[in-house]
Amino acid sequence: MRSEAQSLVTRTGIRPCGPGSVGVASAASDPAVINIRDLEVTYRVYGVQPTRALRNVSFRIAPGEILGLVGESGAGKTTLARAIMRVIPLPGRIERGEISFMGADLRAMSEADLGKRRGRDLAMIVANPRGELNPLLRIGVQIATVAEVHLGVSRKRGLEMARDMLHAVAIPDPEQRLRAYPHELSGGMAQRIVIAMALICGPRFVISDDATSGLDVTVQAQVLALLRKLVREQQTSMLYITRDIGVAANFCDRISIIYKGEIVEDAPTGAFFSGPAHPYGNLLFAAFSHDAELRRRWMGNAPAADGDAAKAPCLYAERCFKRQARCLAEHPALREIAAGRLVRCHYPVGR
Amino acid sequence: MGVLRYIAGRLVFLVPQIIGIVLVSFLLIKAVPGDPATLMLGPMATPHTIAELRAQLGLDKPLPVQFLIYVDKLAHGNLGTSWQTTRPVLDDLRTRFPATLELVTYGLLLALAIGVPLGVASALGRRGPLAKLGGFYGLVAGALPDFWLALILIYVFYSLLGWVASPIGRLDVTVTPPDTFTGFYTIDSLLSGNWATFRSSIHHLILPVLTLGLVNAGPILKMTQATMERMLEADFSLYGRLCGLPERLIIRRAFRNALPSVITIVSVLYGFLIGGAVLIEIVFSWGGAGQYAVQGVLNSDFNPVLGFVIFSALFSLVVYLLVDLVYLAIDPRIRR
Amino acid sequence: MVQAVNGVSFTIAPGETVALVGESGSGKTTIGRCVLGLVPPTAGSIRFRDREMGRRWNVRSPALRGRMQLVFQEPGESLDPRMPIGRSIAEPLRFGSFDRAARQRRVQEVVQRVNLPLGILDQYPAELSAGQQQRVAIARAIVTEPELLVLDEPTSALDPTARADIIELLVRIQRELGTAYLFISHDLSAVYQVSHRIIVLYLGRILEEGASRAVFRTPRHPYSVGLLSAVLLPSPGLQRETTFVLEGEIPSPIDLPPGCPLATRCPFRIGRCSTGFPAGETVGPQHVVHCFRHEEVAAREQAADTFEEFQRKVQQILAVHEEMTEAEPLGVPTLAEHGQMRRVPGDTER
Repeated sequence: MRSEAQSLVTRTGIRPCGPGSVGVASAASDPAVINIRDLEVTYRVYGVQPTRALRNVSFRIAPGEILGLVGESGAGKTTLARAIMRVIPLPGRIERGEISFMGADLRAMSEADLGKRRGRDLAMIVANPRGELNPLLRIGVQIATVAEVHLGVSRKRGLEMARDMLHAVAIPDPEQRLRAYPHELSGGMAQRIVIAMALICGPRFVISDDATSGLDVTVQAQVLALLRKLVREQQTSMLYITRDIGVAANFCDRISIIYKGEIVEDAPTGAFFSGPAHPYGNLLFAAFSHDAELRRRWMGNAPAADGDAAKAPCLYAERCFKRQARCLAEHPALREIAAGRLVRCHYPVGR
Repeated sequence: MGVLRYIAGRLVFLVPQIIGIVLVSFLLIKAVPGDPATLMLGPMATPHTIAELRAQLGLDKPLPVQFLIYVDKLAHGNLGTSWQTTRPVLDDLRTRFPATLELVTYGLLLALAIGVPLGVASALGRRGPLAKLGGFYGLVAGALPDFWLALILIYVFYSLLGWVASPIGRLDVTVTPPDTFTGFYTIDSLLSGNWATFRSSIHHLILPVLTLGLVNAGPILKMTQATMERMLEADFSLYGRLCGLPERLIIRRAFRNALPSVITIVSVLYGFLIGGAVLIEIVFSWGGAGQYAVQGVLNSDFNPVLGFVIFSALFSLVVYLLVDLVYLAIDPRIRR
Repeated sequence: MVQAVNGVSFTIAPGETVALVGESGSGKTTIGRCVLGLVPPTAGSIRFRDREMGRRWNVRSPALRGRMQLVFQEPGESLDPRMPIGRSIAEPLRFGSFDRAARQRRVQEVVQRVNLPLGILDQYPAELSAGQQQRVAIARAIVTEPELLVLDEPTSALDPTARADIIELLVRIQRELGTAYLFISHDLSAVYQVSHRIIVLYLGRILEEGASRAVFRTPRHPYSVGLLSAVLLPSPGLQRETTFVLEGEIPSPIDLPPGCPLATRCPFRIGRCSTGFPAGETVGPQHVVHCFRHEEVAAREQAADTFEEFQRKVQQILAVHEEMTEAEPLGVPTLAEHGQMRRVPGDTER
């Protein structure tokens, strides 16, 4: 059912791919698959102050771990995904920070080397799957090409691997589907095809950028179950980006909350949902309450932000009802308040 | 099977399209002021002879009847006679239409050979020198009148350098036209093994084809460039990069997706140039269909004009049908 | 042949919210459009205030104008980007008997009712957030004080905070104006909060309908069970327990076979299911289900209201009684008095 490449990976941890692949030794020295430190991305538009889309972003993901990145629109989630894959469109650029994948520095790598890794070692699944597929080519060809390019297999072998992947993603009648065109697929099926393309080379790290948000709820459940199975089987690490905190609660091992380009909370899922520490985390949680009073307490009590608060070092200060003098003067750092729990707040919510 | 049904449907639809074209052009021609009979007989003609000629030409009958007579004649292949050449229009067009077609076909092929690679290169170069060159070329090609370019080219390459044949038609005066298979001198002379004629026809084609090619490469270049840029930024191209596909492959696929637009503009140009190449035809004394039609218009000689309209309309319809078939082959979304 | 809607009958009482729930192909959007008269039904009748909708009695006729309104899914797309907000909101009033001053007043009233500042009237849609745009869309819809508001996925495109606001707004407006809602959505959480009655649709058929609480608590149709158990609430592991699973995907709506449209996927299917669509059986007050084997479903499934459970959890977690000091008023002390803004070096400490 799985290609030989994938089975090989699971058994030995050694990648059978060509030159440039990371050997076992360096993987062992850094147990995290992805390690991001102090990442900063800005967008510079001519004549305007540069906007900082991401700042001081740091996190790590262990093998087989699913990290949920939760935030609202514009918080910087997609920018982060693109930064890791180094496909940020101009005028954005990575100003600073370290992105390492299994010990290899992704920022220092040449475009050629990184191109080889994309799709093979690091993969990305995006929303709107039908838009991501070439409308004029059969999907079998599109999936097989990824394998051909990275694993050097023939077209015939590529199609076989594609068929196996379609089987793995629970698409009925895979042989027929290989010959289908993207416009003939339903949303759920297209999303599974994109997942097949992302996983065919057995990557160690997968980013899912809002990949399940447009799907029907029952289809979403199936796709999530599938992703979890594949991730656990192959010990892949996953960065699951979403606006839906409900999915994050049930699918991810850890949660990271991002607000205006900064990580404000990072905790294991169970701990987070027993009580978020950052006021914004509580706000996201409160948004699901049916009790208007409760919501208002966490969401609406802050006096309307005026100029001063807008420039305050703590980015959340202008919305925060707990804002104190210190918040207006000092930028909070990401601190560990309990084992494995990090919060960026001077006055985290204690329980 | 669906494809055959589609073709059949389009062919059937051709009939009302042609009828419509014939009707509209007939009415438009009739709306042109000027009485053909008077023009034919000159200012000294008496009213009696004019009336006689008019009766002969059927000009005294009511309009619908004239139209029906015309349609009936068409159905029998009778396109009437041109009173200028005194020959049946059908015969005239049989030599002239292929002349134009030969010129325009080679011209467009050259335009494609120049425009498409330059367009792709400009799209890839983004803001580089090649893109600027592409932009400049498109601008100039759009602004230059084609006959002016023709005259310049003649002056430089014929008068000054003497590298090409004289612009007096399709062949040297001393050479006889080959036997007619297709009407294309180049093909016909090859088919009958007549090398002298072949060389001569090529020689005479160089300048007009060069003119047409250079001028029409402009819109083709712009269209290719614009569409390629769009395809290179499309979601599926970005996703291809995310999957680590090599840039060459992404460019190839983007080009394939850009093809329909290029084909569209070529088909439009093709239909247009049948009549639109008239100025080139005049400069090079080509003896083509456009020239023929223009002379007909200037002298109120209706039959050649109507004959030309029908020929070129039919031609356009056929081109569009072929283009739609090509779309069917390329774009699977249309096939449902 | 695609039968988008098949044998659907329901009523909406004044001031009531009826929710149409279903996935792709369920027909809920088509029904919404039919109710407004935007799509003519192939068969059947639609009556507004006891009069048949038709040539004289539809959204465009003077008698009916403004009494039914629509709110779309994509707030950004439903507002004309070239019209200032004030004009957009005033548009439905153009055909009424209002003079300019009265229109102005109405617009201002309605903007305040949706909790937007008056200054927004001169702004353009692009300057607003999605949540604000949706409020404007709602303001525009209620400016004529309609009796029925059709809402087509009003929360799907919004962030969680904006979504919560809009839901609260809708509930409040219904309370204040007595508007009836036809709430079309796949967001079951929103449906739970807003609706009185819920209709579960699948490939054009009503499979189950009833009072929201009843259906959420004790769904009797296999599809309703499947749908509710797929909902993921922000609480790890809090999912509706179910003993069975719906196989496969939603089939194509083209040329559906006769009988129950769920037959191909339903683990409870029997021979009868493929030959005829079950008639409705009442299983509770206002609770009707269309299934031959709903009793087995009831026997196998436990009553559970995961939404209720979740709300309790939220109360627990958020009702934190710590020393929630008052937020520092921004007047005193100001930044200036606290000196320069300091950036603590080494931002990431572990």
